Order: sequence, then structure tokens, then C-alpha cells
Amino acid sequence: MANTPSPDVSPPVDEKRASFEREALVHLDVLYRVALRLSGNPSDADDLVQETMLKAYRAWDQYEKGTNAKAWLLTILRHAFINEYRRRTRHPETVDLDKIEPYAVFPEVQDEDPQGAFFDRIVDDEVLRAIDQLPVAFRETLVLSDVEGMSYQEIAGILDIPVGTVKSRLFRARQLLQGKLYDYAVEMGYIKGSPA
Amino acid sequence: MNCRECVEHLYEFLDRELTPELEREIREHLEDCPPCGEQYDFEELFLKFLRARCRTQGAPAELKKRVLRELFGE
Ligand SMILES: [Zn+2]
Repeated sequence: MANTPSPDVSPPVDEKRASFEREALVHLDVLYRVALRLSGNPSDADDLVQETMLKAYRAWDQYEKGTNAKAWLLTILRHAFINEYRRRTRHPETVDLDKIEPYAVFPEVQDEDPQGAFFDRIVDDEVLRAIDQLPVAFRETLVLSDVEGMSYQEIAGILDIPVGTVKSRLFRARQLLQGKLYDYAVEMGYIKGSPA
Repeated sequence: MNCRECVEHLYEFLDRELTPELEREIREHLEDCPPCGEQYDFEELFLKFLRARCRTQGAPAELKKRVLRELFGE
């Protein structure tokens, strides 16, 4: 019955919680956006973030405080996504990335709209939809870089690929996305486009 | 530095991922070459546009609550 608190030991749980809130929970928005682009729907994104946070909290002692919590969390999130994706998909995406030949949009619009004013007319949902159509290897690289502002080195660490691969995927992902958005803009009449 | 090399490195230049020497070469080329300068402006605008369009969304309030509940029993 006697309740004897140990006076000299600060409560480790509270400390753990405080540092987790300070360094990990602040990245919830980033994790959610990336999860949403990876999984493609809000309910799976919720689960993915939830699982990531649970795993991260359990492994919190292994994280070196004050380093790069965002990259560390994104690595966990991506592993969770891959495991789940493999479990669910019997026929994973079999896109030969090297066979995808993006074309450069700038030469197409150079005369009519070199400032890219047509982009301004494309709304959020259309941009997100176009991103979701990219092969997953391109999509994750582009989202980490262009939406979340991670460096090539950080992305290479998260995706476990060489920096050179990050570079080439990013180049082609951007061109591919520009191509999709350009085609959409032509279709909508935001830009005339060059006759095929 | 010719135009082809410049365009090839344009994204790395925009991403601030080049060595200082190469970065200087590109910057000099861009100043002297209007077509490459125009493409630089176009690509820069595209990246800004992308970021602006894709960052409006954050985690739903319900998810935040769920995570806190799950982690700390709140
Ligand atoms: Zn040039």
C-alpha cells in the first residue's frame, strides 16, 4: 500500500514524451502529406502515420536527439509503406523507369508562354492528381524534394539509393510531371500548345 | 559551359546542390545567355508553383488526436 516515489529520479516517461513531442510530433503534417501521396487515400495515410508514430515512439531511445528527426521519421514511414504495399499487392508496380521518356516542356511553351503563366491556372487538386499518376519511385523522390524540401543527401538516405539516382529520378519526375500538367493545360485551353 | 551542359545542371543549380565552381560557371552562363536565362526562370517558377500547390494540406485534427491517444493514452 505504501506509495514510495523515488525522489531523485526524474520521471523518464515525461522526459521521453516531452522530447518526442518537441522533435517528432512537430513533423506530423509532413508525414501526413508524404503518406497521402504514397498511399493514395486519406484512410491509408492515417494508418500509415499512426503506425509510424508508434514505431518511432518505441524506438525513440535509438534516435540521437537533436539530429534529423524528420528524415528519421520519413525512413520509418517509408519502410512501413513498403511492407504494407508488398503485403497487399500481389502484382507490384512493374514500370520500367528507364523506358519512360519524358519530354521537355519549356521548348514547347517558349514562344507562347515562356513565363509559365499557364501553371497559375492549375488548381491544387489537379497538381496532386498528376503527382499521384507518377510511378511510385518518381513520386516519392519528387514529393520529398519539391514539396518537403529535403536535400539530395537526405532523400538518398530515406530511400536508400545513391545520390546520383536521386538526381536522375528527380530530373525525370519533374519533366514527366511538367508534361502531364502541360497536356492538361492544353486540354483545358489554358494554353494553345504547339500543333502535334 | 555550353547551353546543353547548362540545361543539364539547371535543376541541381536551382536545388543548390552543385559544387561552388560549377555553380559559378552556371551563374555566369545564365547571365550571358538569354534563352537559358528564360528556361531558368521557367523552371524556378515551376518549382515554386509545385511547392505552393502541394503544401496547403496538413494532418487532420482527428489524426493528431488519435496519435496522442494511442501514444499517451489521452
Ligand atoms: Zn545557354
